[in-house]
Amino acid sequence: MIKFLTQFGRYFLLLKKVFSRPEKPYIYYKQTMHELVYLGFYSVGIVSIISFFMGAVITLQTAYNTENPIYPTYLIGLGCRDSIILEFSSTISALILAGKVGSNIASEIGTMRVTEQIDALEMMGVNSASYLILPKIIATLLFFPILTLLSICVGILGGWLAGTSAGVITSENFIYGIQYAFIPYYITYSLIKTVVFAFIITSVSSFQGYYVDGGSLEVGRASTKAVVFSSVLILLFNVVLTQLLLS
Amino acid sequence: MISVRHLEKWFDDNHVLNDISVTFETGKTNLIIGRSGSGKTVLLKSIVGLHEVDSGEIWFEDVLFNKLNFTEKKKIRKEMGMLFQGSALFDSLTVEQNIQFPLDMFTDNTQEEKIERVNFCLNRVNLINANNLFPSELSGGMKKRVAIARAISLKPKYLFCDEPNSGLDPPNAILIDALIKEITEEYLITTIVNTHDMNSVIEIGENIVFINEGSICWEGNKNEILHSDNEILNDFVFANALAKKLRNPLK
Ligand SMILES: Nc1ncnc2c1ncn2[C@@H]1O[C@H](COP(=O)(O)OP(=O)(O)OP(=O)(O)O)[C@@H](O)[C@H]1O
Ligand SMILES: [Mg+2]
Repeated sequence: MIKFLTQFGRYFLLLKKVFSRPEKPYIYYKQTMHELVYLGFYSVGIVSIISFFMGAVITLQTAYNTENPIYPTYLIGLGCRDSIILEFSSTISALILAGKVGSNIASEIGTMRVTEQIDALEMMGVNSASYLILPKIIATLLFFPILTLLSICVGILGGWLAGTSAGVITSENFIYGIQYAFIPYYITYSLIKTVVFAFIITSVSSFQGYYVDGGSLEVGRASTKAVVFSSVLILLFNVVLTQLLLS
Repeated sequence: MISVRHLEKWFDDNHVLNDISVTFETGKTNLIIGRSGSGKTVLLKSIVGLHEVDSGEIWFEDVLFNKLNFTEKKKIRKEMGMLFQGSALFDSLTVEQNIQFPLDMFTDNTQEEKIERVNFCLNRVNLINANNLFPSELSGGMKKRVAIARAISLKPKYLFCDEPNSGLDPPNAILIDALIKEITEEYLITTIVNTHDMNSVIEIGENIVFINEGSICWEGNKNEILHSDNEILNDFVFANALAKKLRNPLK
């Protein structure tokens, strides 16, 4: 318990250090651009693949679970749309990104710690926490919502392709379904969740990496912890945010 | 001049630095020697402020460094260069970018001026045509030289080297030692070098502190070190068989 509280305190102290005033904004700008590509753009592939298959499966399952003449088939399109927007695109993508981006950040920063690169930065009088972590946080906060929107589109596309090619729904019905009773606020809700998840992934993983003590073994351990802790926090905040935003 | 008074450092119940008081002079290569695990790295990192000491004073000229706040420390930090035990080059940057990094952070020079300075520093450490290589493409000795080039890029007043020649072959080790000594004298730097290499000691040891289990056990220069009657020091200096053989005729 005491250990948990200490960790909690260190996490917030680190965040305070991260958000102190940057000394050379231009360098931070350059770093942020780099992280946008590295953490954001390079995740487009995996998010697309996952969303495509997710959308396909959701459509087929909705179809087979509603095989009853009293339900109009366009409900399949509607169901697919809502589950993708409300839950899958933000939460599942976040969990996948926790695995990819989280372990990446933790091992990158952790390696810099054990090879004394962070000491070298501090030695030069650079605020290492801010220099290393702030650009990553900004980049993920900016890019993850784009990934979520992409995931929604690709997911619905996957659903449409799967549904029509399996013959469970016609193209017209599906397209009618995804437009039927559309609530734009759901998109906002999904994006708010994504932003929170992005912050969790980046800050928790950076924290794990920044305080690695030891060698490459500990770096590996930190990157596992980064994924586990951020995933659990994502699931927890998913419940909290859903209650706050949708009730 | 850097002066250290009554430094104490604990890691939990491991007493790593025990009442260390010593003065490091300007324009000289000051050596800290001792066995592996004796506390050399901790002492060096404490002096530069990477480790918080439990008690004691660290003076840079007439400034009490360890009592300054972050911003005040930063001013003095800009005058320090440090070579880490494992070089600590930034993996994601090329050699050129590594050396340019402190210039980017702390000067408003134009890109041409920076590149000029980078090339000057690379020349100074005898590395040419390595500008666009990444650290992973360099040999251990080249990394050390790039790290020295980075350490001197802002024309430091203080240079700290943690085992600059460990893991290098003897000719390269001597080259690095000679380089550090030359730079120290040329720019009148206060240099502190950690080492457990007796070649370096004999080569460049103008002012030597021998640390054993966290305490200062002996101080002197390279001529005195061979004729001391300090038993612990002699065990360290004449550790290998060749040295033992050579020692007997000395007596
Ligand atoms: N970050 C740390 N946390 C806890 N203990 C540490 C830490 N750094 C060093 N120590 C301990 O301090 C002691 C001195 O270590 P130090 O690294 O200064 O040795 P050294 O003289 O530099 O050895 P070497 O020649 O092998 O580099 C060792 O007992 C080590 O276990
Ligand atoms: Mg050491």
